[in-house]
Amino acid sequence: MSTYETDTKKVEQMSDVDRSIAEAPLPTAGTLRRRKNLFYQATRFVAFNFRMMKMVTRAHH
Amino acid sequence: MDRVVILGAGISGHTAALHLQRQLKNRVDVVVVSPNSNWNWIPSNIWVGVGKMTKDQVTFPLAPIYKRKHIGFRQAKAVAIHPEGGAGTTQGYVDIVYTDPTRAGEEEQLTYDYLIVATGPKLNFAATPGLGPDANSWSVCTAGHAEQSAAALETIIEALKAGEKKTLVIGVGHGTCTCEGAAFEYTFNVEHELRERGVRDLADVVYLSNEYDLGDLGVGGMTFAQNGFETSSKMWTESLFRERGVRAILRAHVERVEPGVIHYEQLDGLKHTLDFDFAMLLPPFRGVDMKAFANNGDDITDDLFAPNGFLRVDGDYTAKPYEEWAPEDWPKTYQCPRYENVFGVGIAFAPPHAISEPRKSPNGTVISPAPPRTGMPSGVMGRTVALSIAERIRRGGEAPLRTASMAAMGAACIASAGTGLRKGSAAAITMYPIIPDPKRFPGTGRDLTQTSGEIGLSGHWTKLLLHYLFIYKAKARFGWFMIPE
Repeated sequence: MSTYETDTKKVEQMSDVDRSIAEAPLPTAGTLRRRKNLFYQATRFVAFNFRMMKMVTRAHH
Repeated sequence: MDRVVILGAGISGHTAALHLQRQLKNRVDVVVVSPNSNWNWIPSNIWVGVGKMTKDQVTFPLAPIYKRKHIGFRQAKAVAIHPEGGAGTTQGYVDIVYTDPTRAGEEEQLTYDYLIVATGPKLNFAATPGLGPDANSWSVCTAGHAEQSAAALETIIEALKAGEKKTLVIGVGHGTCTCEGAAFEYTFNVEHELRERGVRDLADVVYLSNEYDLGDLGVGGMTFAQNGFETSSKMWTESLFRERGVRAILRAHVERVEPGVIHYEQLDGLKHTLDFDFAMLLPPFRGVDMKAFANNGDDITDDLFAPNGFLRVDGDYTAKPYEEWAPEDWPKTYQCPRYENVFGVGIAFAPPHAISEPRKSPNGTVISPAPPRTGMPSGVMGRTVALSIAERIRRGGEAPLRTASMAAMGAACIASAGTGLRKGSAAAITMYPIIPDPKRFPGTGRDLTQTSGEIGLSGHWTKLLLHYLFIYKAKARFGWFMIPE
């Protein structure tokens, strides 16, 4: 994690954003592994590019 | 032979030039005017900014391409449009001043039958005192700027290696900036680089933005359908910030940048300072400084251009409250209402309003993103206008114009979060339509089946693929036109 330091006033001003980030879902170890897994990512590569091509085709009609 | 003059050789202008020449071959005289000698694949500038690519990998000279494709090229900047002609002629023309070193300062009047304004933005560093590479912060807007940023980042990394603590601030340098996506990308590429170099623990990485929430990205945020839930881009983006330990300061307007200190105001009207050792802050955009004159010499700049300097086209520019904004406000044909042979595409056309909800601080400071016009829609606009003009040249002036409204167009955005064929990652996002349409898609304003986001290595592969694909296309190599915009 970051070791960000600031004065008290600034922390007060940023606290709602900081709190929101702190409460955001943290990916599990499994999710992080999947994001780097070559086989799984190869399937996501094909899926995303297919979706993108569909969108592009629609934009070019 | 009809002459089509295209001002600008960025994604939209260059795309328009290639398509026009392909459509009409020797039946048209296409002339591109650009102050730059090189074409730049701007989305890859962020990789130049972290030293992972060189300037030469993201740019190439335009002149040889245009020579091969029989397209005229003037390395010059346009300074004035005369859409009604001038003394003794009613044919429109443009005043240009050469920036080509061999003809620097030379002036020329370039007549046209059709004019495409695709000048892109003026990088308005002057809007914020102390902003920009000539002052106290860095930029990745051009390949040259990105190279400077990479050198400055390297100095910071050396200091971190020596055990010093450093604060790196990355974001936007004004309350009305656009391109938050690029700032997001650079933030996570820098964070990735610091991690790779083993100095992340000593570095504080801070994202500074005018967005109301993370994930707004100037398009009012998005909603994705994931695992049976509607997930907001806010939560999705916050998750990445939490995972990577990046701080965020939002709803901020940078007032000025002094050496090592950023002064900013937030939506609540309070003003703060933030110390930094390295700051990459993108500038706000405005239209390039171009004048327009009627046949009698009257200055009609304000008729042709919006106050922000962008060209008015067929959008609805009536001032109206956020609640009344509608997809129909957005231009469809990109034709100038007053002169039917003048078109504006890419960043050069004036958007009717923002996409994100507009907000002001109690001091009256506007702090909300301007609408982005990224590569994909810019390319589609360039192609669409080229086909419209080609049709009119073939069939006569009355041929119907093609349309490409951002309210009927989707976009794919690959936001890099770090490089490396095995270790890289990117947020791969699709959205449809770009302009939310709550009537067609109640609730989220966008089609949930076509609006998606995922983070992973495959996103990096896609961004890398697009880098090579679009440079191949822009070089007009064999089959270039088969690659869609």
